Amino acid sequence: MPAAELIEAEGLAAGYDGAVAISGVDFSLRGGQTLALLGPNGGGKTTLLRALLGELAPLAGALRVAATCGTVPQTERSRLDYPVSALDVAMMGTLPRLPWWRRPGRREREAAAEALDRVGLRALAEQTFGRLSGGQRQRVLIARALVQDAGVLLLDEPFSGLDRPSAESLERLIAELAEEGRAVVIATHDLEQARACDLVLCINKRQVACGSPDRVLEDLGVLEATYGGAIVEIPGGAGRAILPPHHHHH
Amino acid sequence: MLEPFHLPFVQRGLFEILILAVPAGLLGTWIVLRGLAFFSHAVGTAAFPGLVLADGLGFAAPLGAFGAAALFSAGSALLGRREEEATDSAVAIVLVGCLAAGTILASDVFGSGANVETLLFGSLLLIDGNDLVLAGVAAGLTLVVSLLLGQRWLAAGFDPAAAAPGAGGWLDLALFGLIALSIVAALSVVGALLVTALFVVPALTARLFAERMLSWQLASVALVALEGTVGLWLSVKTDAPPGATIAVVAGAVFALAAGGRALARSHRRAPALALAALVALGALLAGCGSSGSGGEGLRVVATTTQIGDFVREVGGNAVSVDQILQPNTDPHEYEPRPSDVAGAAEAKLVFANGDELDSWVDQIVSDSGSDAEIVDLGAIVPERRPGESSGAETSRYDPHWWHDPRNAEAAVTAIERRLAAADPSHRREFQRNARAYLAKLRALDAGIARCMSTVPASSRKLVTDHDAFGYFADRYGIEVVGAVIPSQTTQAQPSAKDLSALAQLIEREHVEAIFPESSLSPKVAEAIASQTGASADYTLYGDTLGPEGSSGATYLTMEAANANAMVRGFTGGRQGCRPLS
Repeated sequence: MPAAELIEAEGLAAGYDGAVAISGVDFSLRGGQTLALLGPNGGGKTTLLRALLGELAPLAGALRVAATCGTVPQTERSRLDYPVSALDVAMMGTLPRLPWWRRPGRREREAAAEALDRVGLRALAEQTFGRLSGGQRQRVLIARALVQDAGVLLLDEPFSGLDRPSAESLERLIAELAEEGRAVVIATHDLEQARACDLVLCINKRQVACGSPDRVLEDLGVLEATYGGAIVEIPGGAGRAILPPHHHHH
Repeated sequence: MLEPFHLPFVQRGLFEILILAVPAGLLGTWIVLRGLAFFSHAVGTAAFPGLVLADGLGFAAPLGAFGAAALFSAGSALLGRREEEATDSAVAIVLVGCLAAGTILASDVFGSGANVETLLFGSLLLIDGNDLVLAGVAAGLTLVVSLLLGQRWLAAGFDPAAAAPGAGGWLDLALFGLIALSIVAALSVVGALLVTALFVVPALTARLFAERMLSWQLASVALVALEGTVGLWLSVKTDAPPGATIAVVAGAVFALAAGGRALARSHRRAPALALAALVALGALLAGCGSSGSGGEGLRVVATTTQIGDFVREVGGNAVSVDQILQPNTDPHEYEPRPSDVAGAAEAKLVFANGDELDSWVDQIVSDSGSDAEIVDLGAIVPERRPGESSGAETSRYDPHWWHDPRNAEAAVTAIERRLAAADPSHRREFQRNARAYLAKLRALDAGIARCMSTVPASSRKLVTDHDAFGYFADRYGIEVVGAVIPSQTTQAQPSAKDLSALAQLIEREHVEAIFPESSLSPKVAEAIASQTGASADYTLYGDTLGPEGSSGATYLTMEAANANAMVRGFTGGRQGCRPLS
């Protein structure tokens, strides 16, 4: 039985204070699928994530999200100086579903511990969040999203700043979470990570292309339209890489 | 060691600080986490327009303060949300608005009296039932709301984007509102300038060691209670104002803790070193024993410098005088010292100026548990001038009655009678002293009159900082042309229109000199003087005597110095006056 469509966007436009930041976004994502969101800085990746979260109302077109969205922000943006444990952070995910007068109780605590277990961090539950490694922090933030029973996971640059082994194990975790029936959207700069996803959506103010990685990532025209030509062929057949803006190649 | 806590007013202060430890410690952690230190410092100051309104319209001061603080909080929260990261700038903008509104209300709308500002300066020694209730309400609300919302505040601060979107607004409002309420409750304890000593410094100190919210919050509450208790005890021992003492203790503990922690990272033995330093500091503080007033004989409190002078002259060695205001202190910045309250507790008699100048004395006497009789000298003296004619100044009479020596004579006579009634065994001595002093007062009066008669009446035109010399002018045929500050509170500012009208008046009336007062800044007077060509070289003693050794150290020399300054000013320096010789 094919899984249900969890996200459907048709001609979606979104932006701030009425000004359009992204337009022409058309895609649908089923449970079990992963989607890589590729685009330059300022190209509208975060705007699209915020629209999916429901923070920005569509300015045009239609958007349907049929499951709870759990967001996993960039770990560099989270407050490392807070006196909270990994478990405390995971437990924050239970708050939106509790009425305002309810404090998280034993049930919420257990759910948070389970979520930490799911991301492989049970042993570090009592560790202070700020003392964890970047990859571990990313996992804690994913656990916080899992606690919400999120059918859709939105990850903003989850691999940035991670070493190779951490990135790989995170990649495996994301694949597993998708296999359990979740739809996963990953905003990323990394073409290799994008290649591992089921779908790739290229965005630069407007949707440039959306499709399977084979189709989208092999099309140099698409990548150029997305990144404005800042793509270099890595010598020796290692593939292509995207130059971050303002980076001068030697 | 613990004897300070046997005094009833110290016990009340202790209760108050222990109750306030709950909101201060709990909210302190949120203030530190959310970077609200500037906001919490500003909210106390922002209460000013509310205090002016409460005073002008006649409702309870804490209500006005809380209203203004709540508006300030809401404004900061709303503006801060729109500006995203620029919360500090938002707070600054709203704070400026509050202060400007307060100053305009005080100067131009209500012509507020000095008692408005005193509400911004609190004292742990003057706690009454209302203060305790307000602190209790703040503590209870903070406890309940923190229990309910603490996890949400934590999540919202940790990661505003991921915490329930859209919910941040009311969460912030609840937090800001609680901070406003608790700081208003703390105003009566440490005053607006030192609230951060309770709300920020202990939480910062505990933050150095706490790994989790719960332990941090408990440690902060405990630290506020501890520092408050030690500071209160220390202030009684050293006779320092308690608010400032608590602030110093809190700062010292933070410095030691931060230093100790830094050392601990480089040395193994550091904890022992830090402990040793703490013990040494404690020993040092314990060694600062109370000097005490230690005088013998009948104990008497005098509120102002000039009344203290009268009582010393009449009482001689048979009376020990506790004088509350010291030379050159602005009564607006007055915070009672423990010895003032302790002095009132043991005093038989309290001599007050009356006419709202020292209305706080009633509270000092009642809080000290004393049954001393308060003698309102202003109600006894024969020569009276009407008080401020406009505005909400509640005094019916101008309180500066001592500048007419005939009033001083009446006051001295009254003081002599009261002292004699309280201590009949020294009746003869009091009478003898009073007779001698009254003779000097009459000589002073005649001497000044003689000086003034040598100055043509058309030259005797007086412009001063504020209207303190009406009695003096009436007595010696001087015309008061104007005053630089139209209101009695130093928070009030003269408007440009006031100043230019005054400058025109000075030129039209050919005023030779403007007389700044010794206890106020001479800036405005000097500015007008330079604009009009009048001199501003001669200062007058208005509200207080000068310090020991100055020409205004006693009542007699002060009035003589004022007469001399005026004669010199009126005559362009050609003539002086020595009424005492």
